[in-house]
Amino acid sequence: MSPSVVTLARKHPAALLLAAAVVLPLLWSLAAAAAAGLDAPAWAALAAQPQTGPALWLSLYTGLAASALALAGAALLLAHSFGTPRWTRLLGRLPAMLALPHAAFAIGLLLLISPSGWLVRTGVALVSPLNAWLGLGLPLDAPPAWQSTQDPWGLGLIAVLALKEIPFLLWTAAAQLQRPDVARRLELELRLAQSLGYSARSAWWRVAWPQLLARLQAPVLAVLAYSLTVVDVALLAGPSTPPTLAVLAWQWLQDADPARNAIGAAAAWLLAAVVAALALAGLLAQRYGRGWAADHWTRGIAPSKTIGKGLGGWACGALPLAYAAVAAALALGSVIGVWPFPDLWPQVWTRQAWHAVADSVPVVGATLALALTSSAGALLWAVAWLECAPPAWQRRLQGLMYLPLLLPSLLWSLGLHRLALAWGLDGDIKGLWLAHTLCVLPYVLLSLQGPYGGFDARLQAVAASLGHTRWVFVWRIKWPLMRAALAASFAVGFAVSVAQYLPTLYVGAGRFSTATTQAVALASGGQRSLMAAFAALQWLLPALVFGLAAWAGRERRFAPPDTGTARAATPGEELSHTLH
Amino acid sequence: MAPPYTPTVLQIRLHRLRTPAGLLLHDLELDVPGGAVHTVMGASGAGKSSLLACVCGTLDDGLQFDGTVHLHGQRIDTLSTHQRRVGLLLQDDLLFAHLSVLENLLFAVPAGPKAERQALALAALAEVELACYADANPATLSGGQRSRVALARALLARPLALMLDEPFAKLDTPLRQRMRELLFGAVAARDIAAILVTHDAADVADMQRLTQLS
Repeated sequence: MSPSVVTLARKHPAALLLAAAVVLPLLWSLAAAAAAGLDAPAWAALAAQPQTGPALWLSLYTGLAASALALAGAALLLAHSFGTPRWTRLLGRLPAMLALPHAAFAIGLLLLISPSGWLVRTGVALVSPLNAWLGLGLPLDAPPAWQSTQDPWGLGLIAVLALKEIPFLLWTAAAQLQRPDVARRLELELRLAQSLGYSARSAWWRVAWPQLLARLQAPVLAVLAYSLTVVDVALLAGPSTPPTLAVLAWQWLQDADPARNAIGAAAAWLLAAVVAALALAGLLAQRYGRGWAADHWTRGIAPSKTIGKGLGGWACGALPLAYAAVAAALALGSVIGVWPFPDLWPQVWTRQAWHAVADSVPVVGATLALALTSSAGALLWAVAWLECAPPAWQRRLQGLMYLPLLLPSLLWSLGLHRLALAWGLDGDIKGLWLAHTLCVLPYVLLSLQGPYGGFDARLQAVAASLGHTRWVFVWRIKWPLMRAALAASFAVGFAVSVAQYLPTLYVGAGRFSTATTQAVALASGGQRSLMAAFAALQWLLPALVFGLAAWAGRERRFAPPDTGTARAATPGEELSHTLH
Repeated sequence: MAPPYTPTVLQIRLHRLRTPAGLLLHDLELDVPGGAVHTVMGASGAGKSSLLACVCGTLDDGLQFDGTVHLHGQRIDTLSTHQRRVGLLLQDDLLFAHLSVLENLLFAVPAGPKAERQALALAALAEVELACYADANPATLSGGQRSRVALARALLARPLALMLDEPFAKLDTPLRQRMRELLFGAVAARDIAAILVTHDAADVADMQRLTQLS
């Protein structure tokens, strides 16, 4: 051991242990994933595959389009809600939207927009009387022949990803905007800009958004990486001939032939390289586009546009409405029995699917056990890290901690699988717990960093000046003050764990099923109600935990002053005390 | 005329106070007797708050204090902040938002029988004329009321010295006067050695005990 490590171990033993506990498996997984990509024949075989080019193109444009739409949607919602009651309402609805996992959202949206889904049936119900009355002869007794899901252009996939990533970007923006230091400064700057003659919205776009966007680089990159490399959502909503490159890589990795496995690993690395290239392009655009952007921000006051205003106001209500519709589709879809087209409502309702869910004790048990223990483990680690690690360590390791967010999930899962194999944890609940915890950790850390960074350090000085040690302060002041953030972080971790698909499949070696793996597996079969029931379960469990977190983090209610006349005194009244 | 002799309670011998950017303060000696308020004035960035932080032990990382601080003859600059018995009052009252007014005060009362601690906190609250706000949310109090609660809280910890970092800065003129009376009275009554940092000459309690930092 080098002397510097010995010195560090003596000075910050707890932080060193914490770092080792995460860095070791993280680096091991990365190294294992890297080793899987070092196979020249596999790269040559990947290049020779006829599907590679179209699949890569599909991944690229669906990923870019979904990310751009998600960012534009989040920006529009922020511009039209920040500083108004709408923002508070939107924040209140975010947990419920975040709790809905990607796969469940995709399944719910399919139930709505598929040719035999509710939207088409509603349309048919509305058009039918007109069709009969005018004798139009429209064929309304069979679902239309168009492909609204798994369409060859990837439009359904783009829609699912964009709608699902908007709440994530809003949440990361909220984490910044809720920091007392950032929020206060932005509010003052916005007021100042308005005092110079800019409208509230114009001030937002020119003053607040550029500053916020700079703080959202990592989340935007995470959205891009996820959209380009997601497997479960692409399986459910993406095209199949060819599928996206991530799905193709996953299929190759599932193959019994090691040579095809190697092609799959090479494809996963190709996706990682594409993400890295896009990130680099983004950085260059930011660097060299700054002059153009600054020119735009400073070109003076222009009349406010009413078109954007209406669109933004509409979007603030439409997003929660879309999520409510998807959740309703899942709930109703889970109790559908016989439902011939074009009936708007099923002829027979059945609870059979829910009976099957109730009978799937191992599935529900594994989902709950993994989510509870991995989010608790990640929360404990994150809190200990933020409390013990010197700020310089936190800065240096931040990039590594967030790497699982930025790496293609396929590559990351491959690394975790190799780690589990090497450590003898393959197909073991302990290995699965480790994999889930490592996947959950960056999200928990991300959600805690804002509140930790914004916590007023002077409170500790005050507590110490009153004679209390650091740990008394942490236990009695800091953590109680941060309980809402701590509870929300736990809920985020829980939701992330429930949504894990690839790590559960790979590290669990098929021995463990969760609500997510069940829902995705059932999507390829004909059991619509059972698929919807598992997808609804995927949403209900995190929604329940988000609800409990909101309850645990609610603001304390204080008793009113014990005299009928006592209230906050005005300066004039306080003056009377002086004359007392 | 020189002030009458009173034994020094707080003795500061500051040789150097360095920031990463360079030397902030050097060769500063302060002797503050019990019951006195020594005022420190100076331009922004002159090192006034950092001087108080040297006494409290709350210097930011990167600042290096070379010197000694003695309180009642005991060297305290080597102790942790919570062991120094140096109270702190800042421009912001920094009441703990999750605790009621009374609970904020109880946090400062040394451990002991519950009834005694409760009585001490209630008496302190009555002393600052806020007895009826015991169970109130601190956020619902006015600025002046919050300042008084913060003062009561600081005094309940029985400090031997008190560092006052612009505690009146956010109060209007009548409230400043009221708080000055309360604060200086409490310091004198409890024989506390206090250092007050301020930009307002009207806050100076004793022109004989004034240090101007440049």
